[in-house]
Amino acid sequence: MSKTDDLIIQLSGSPVRAPLRQRRLAAIATLAMLVPVALFLAEFGMRRGLMSAWSNPVVILKTLLPLGICGLSLVLLLRLIRPEARIGRAGYGYAAPVAVALLLWAGAFISRAPQARFAEVGTFSLTECLGSILMLSIVPLVGLLMLARQGASTAPQLSGALVGLTAASGVTAGYSLFCTRDNPLFFVTWYGVAILIVTVVGAIVGRRVLQW
Amino acid sequence: MTEDALATLLLAANVDDRQAYAQFLRAVTPIIRGIVRARSRSLAPDQHEDIVQDVLLAIHRKRQTWDPGQPVRPWLYAITRYKIIDAYRKRGVAVHLPIEDYADVLAAEQAADPLAARDDRAEVDHLLGQLDPRSAEVVRALVLRDEAQADVSARLQISPGNLRVMLHRSMKRMAQLGRRGEP
Repeated sequence: MSKTDDLIIQLSGSPVRAPLRQRRLAAIATLAMLVPVALFLAEFGMRRGLMSAWSNPVVILKTLLPLGICGLSLVLLLRLIRPEARIGRAGYGYAAPVAVALLLWAGAFISRAPQARFAEVGTFSLTECLGSILMLSIVPLVGLLMLARQGASTAPQLSGALVGLTAASGVTAGYSLFCTRDNPLFFVTWYGVAILIVTVVGAIVGRRVLQW
Repeated sequence: MTEDALATLLLAANVDDRQAYAQFLRAVTPIIRGIVRARSRSLAPDQHEDIVQDVLLAIHRKRQTWDPGQPVRPWLYAITRYKIIDAYRKRGVAVHLPIEDYADVLAAEQAADPLAARDDRAEVDHLLGQLDPRSAEVVRALVLRDEAQADVSARLQISPGNLRVMLHRSMKRMAQLGRRGEP
């Protein structure tokens, strides 16, 4: 028991650490996503006629859906920073954006002529879309993992997945301002694939680095 | 100590009151010790205090994750629980266990315990005889003679990881054999 007492004396001598503040963490996380996206858009520019493209609600959803997923994931991620926290019912929040995305996909599949459905799929378009989202995700993925390490998630793998999901969907929302492919069969599928890849990477890495 | 008293101490600690922090750690130690004792029955008692210290260290390292607007105890319990699970994982349970403790780990999984249910030595020897000689020796050394894992590992030239796996499989196999022999 005396060793425990020694430990307590030793621990109580170390400097204080201020409680983590959710708002501050959220601000840092947002910055980690915003900076690479801003650099990307500054270099390659937004799509031409973005404003007029927004007259089509599908184009607005292309940005709003990943943005919504990013917001929800960030909230859940920051919640899990406390060891006693659980996601609980908030996880159902994904149902709405996912349902809308699937409806968009199905609607486009039905309304388009068979040869027009996957017309945009090609090496260049896929490399551009997947490549950009994956590259843009790297900085926020690392940044958010470092942020999450300050916390004490008792579900490291889940927290890691949320890091990946937040980072990838956040940069996807930004990338969508550049992307001109408005066919939901294209963007729902390939944005989705890119986001899932980063989420899985986040889960795998998180499982290791978010342990404490 | 009540919830509020703990929260008050931790709040004071957060504004650099070291005495309050020491007091907080002293106050939570018996709470943690109680939980560790209750939850780690299958780990050797001499390791309980190690786990208590692991939990104290974790509380210290993660003290910034307590939200002053939230109660202290759920936070404390969550950390304790996490570190107990961690302790199980790190220590690979089986190796440190005297036989009667190992029994209830297996029982949870196996619903029948091969050795404790039969204290009859001849029966145990009979079951061991049905294993391959190396596995039988692993069980004899670790469980019946309570030898240190490192010694057995060196003597039989089996890596510690494999040793654990062998022990686990052998115990499982013996449980199956034991059940088959029952009327």
